[in-house]
Amino acid sequence: MAAPNNNDAAAGASASATTSEPAPEDTSIEALARRVQEHMTLASNPTARRHKFWETQPVGQFRDAADSSLPDGAIEPPTPLSEVRADPYPLPAAFEWYTCDLDDDALLTDLYALLAHNYVEDDENMFRFNYSPAFLRWALRPPSFFRAWHIGVRARESKKLVAFISGVPARIRARDDVVRMAEINFLCVHKKLRSKRLAPVLIREVTRRVHQENIWQAAYTAGVVLPTPITTCRYWHRSLNPKKLIDVGFSRLGPRMTMSRTVRLYKLPEAPLTPGFRQMELRDVAAVTRLLRAYLAKFVVAPDFDEMDVEHWLLPREDVVDSYLVESPETHEVTDFCSFYTLPSSVLNNANYATLKAAYSYYNVSTKTPLQQLMNDALIVAKQKNYDVFNALDVMENESFLKELKFGPGDGQLHYYLYNYRIRNGIKPSELGLVLL
Amino acid sequence: MGGDWQELAQAAVIGLLFAFLVAKLISTVIAFKEDNLRITRSTPTSPSAADTPAAPAPPPASLDGGHGDTSDGSGSDSDSDWEGVESTELDEEFSAASAFVAASAASGTSVPEQAQLQLYGLYKIATEGPCTAPQPSALKLKARAKWNAWHKLGAMPTEEAMQKYITVVDELFPNWSMGSSTKRKDEDTTVSASSSKGPMGPVFSSLMYEEEDQGNDSELGDIHVSAREGAIDDIAKHLAAGVEVNMRDSEGRTPLHWAVDRGHLNSVEILVNANADVNAQDNEGQTALHYAVLCEREDIAELLVKHHADVQIKDEDGNTVRELCPSSWSFMNLAN
Repeated sequence: MAAPNNNDAAAGASASATTSEPAPEDTSIEALARRVQEHMTLASNPTARRHKFWETQPVGQFRDAADSSLPDGAIEPPTPLSEVRADPYPLPAAFEWYTCDLDDDALLTDLYALLAHNYVEDDENMFRFNYSPAFLRWALRPPSFFRAWHIGVRARESKKLVAFISGVPARIRARDDVVRMAEINFLCVHKKLRSKRLAPVLIREVTRRVHQENIWQAAYTAGVVLPTPITTCRYWHRSLNPKKLIDVGFSRLGPRMTMSRTVRLYKLPEAPLTPGFRQMELRDVAAVTRLLRAYLAKFVVAPDFDEMDVEHWLLPREDVVDSYLVESPETHEVTDFCSFYTLPSSVLNNANYATLKAAYSYYNVSTKTPLQQLMNDALIVAKQKNYDVFNALDVMENESFLKELKFGPGDGQLHYYLYNYRIRNGIKPSELGLVLL
Repeated sequence: MGGDWQELAQAAVIGLLFAFLVAKLISTVIAFKEDNLRITRSTPTSPSAADTPAAPAPPPASLDGGHGDTSDGSGSDSDSDWEGVESTELDEEFSAASAFVAASAASGTSVPEQAQLQLYGLYKIATEGPCTAPQPSALKLKARAKWNAWHKLGAMPTEEAMQKYITVVDELFPNWSMGSSTKRKDEDTTVSASSSKGPMGPVFSSLMYEEEDQGNDSELGDIHVSAREGAIDDIAKHLAAGVEVNMRDSEGRTPLHWAVDRGHLNSVEILVNANADVNAQDNEGQTALHYAVLCEREDIAELLVKHHADVQIKDEDGNTVRELCPSSWSFMNLAN
């Protein structure tokens, strides 16, 4: 199994933080102090290598971690729209830009195939994400989406899709500030083209198109440490089908443990235990929106969902996203809510299984039913629907149920980033209310 | 004494020369990386800085063990080239190899002309793609020879050219990569095309720990270990040595329990034929058949039933195997 990812640059940067007293009457001393601080920060973080490119970009810098005087908010002001570059960035001669129309089934199939064969794998190349076509339509077409932000690159002659990046619009609240942002995702370059450096061009191009819509901030995740994560989360996993997980190598069996005991350890009841627990329906959108907005207000960074957003992101879609709520049998009031999305992975090189079916915890709100009981019911319905594993990040209040419900820590860490928006001192995973797909 | 002196002088000269070459290599590698690490085909002219809006491009993903003697991440600019974001291992290795060749040429190392031309052609394919330049005049012998070296490779793919380039350098300088910052995979000289950790997007995470008994420290005998591993020869040896076929481990499990648990049909057959007790119960009241059912070992369950395993036995939770097993196992209904 892959070793845990021990990138603690952000935490280390915080550990070395000291307040530098401003001395406006003597700027040379201030400059010297900042330079010393920069060296201290770098020295205490071997993994925070110099990032020549990033240091020119409007993102939080490692060296700024210690400076509590820097304000929250946009790092650079918006540019006049007339100054946003009008033409796409140039590509190598053999390739051309291609805006992907997801209404076109053939194009959707091409995009699905590009991702299924070339997208994110684990460190040991045993699994690869296998987003379904229906998932891609859901993820890429929220309310008010921009088709121009579904950016493909294809070979000029064969018209084969060889690279892709996407942005979708979102309102994200950071402390008291609701900001129109782009959520950037699905950056994928065909494996045979990794040496052609398409990725930076794709990132520049999506940024350009986002700017054309007068949007100047973005949110994205990565598995590597870049300047500078606002927080770093860890994945936790709850086995639902342990025999299969062990067979494919997702988890392992110790030499003194039996498969039989493992199967019994993860056994779940046949049906949800909470009275009034049922699947969400269209008529529930208003109630769920109310619950969710009240809940997400507790977090430092969270989406600012309205009813249209809730209807799109949380109304159940088979094999894409599933949502359940608790309706009081007496008052018929909706009191609690939970949801998870479906992300299968291809199992590479296993004789018995081709696909791993994973549920990913999405948004969960508990007001009457204890959160642990609510999530236990989510596990039960996921098991009923033949999921193999239930995954959750340690964001929001998830930490409160992970151990009790027999989640185990995973080897994957996920770093969250904001582009052109600074959050002083970063935040804890439990202060993050945003889930990116 | 004269001979000793000569050897000492020779060693000193070689040492000095080596130090000079290493220093030259390091400086050339650094300069090369600064100027040439960006390797693309037919790169269009990049727009001026004033014309370029900001883009959130991540820095290159570093290779495991990618920091060699010539690379120091904490103070040097040599590895901060963000445009390497999509560099693969192959790309890094090609860059190191071509930097080495440039350093060798600068230090006057002799390379056969045919190999020089071959390297030239491969380098051009890797960095500029197929040859589209007009053929130089026959009067310019060197230029024409170079053009031919490039042109004859036709439309060779970039990756193939890089790989061949590295192979040629390996043949010319077998130890060139020992001083390189690129670490070669031990058992595989073909660089994997698999993706490194992506610059952006989700992460695939797997469970990090082994399923273990919480608070329990089970103890297994050797025959249990052999049964768990399906080592049928070892099982036979243990039995021949007089080990009791129904020996219990600290949780009351017999070798048959372990063989069934891990799905080793052959081991189950050996144990059953050695008169293992098919109805032995572990400390939780479970028989080997309970294990077969829980672990969905259908073929093993069928074998146990043929050997008269009792389907009526209840474990400590009060479950019989019929209650636990999939309804599609029709042979369970035929059992006594």
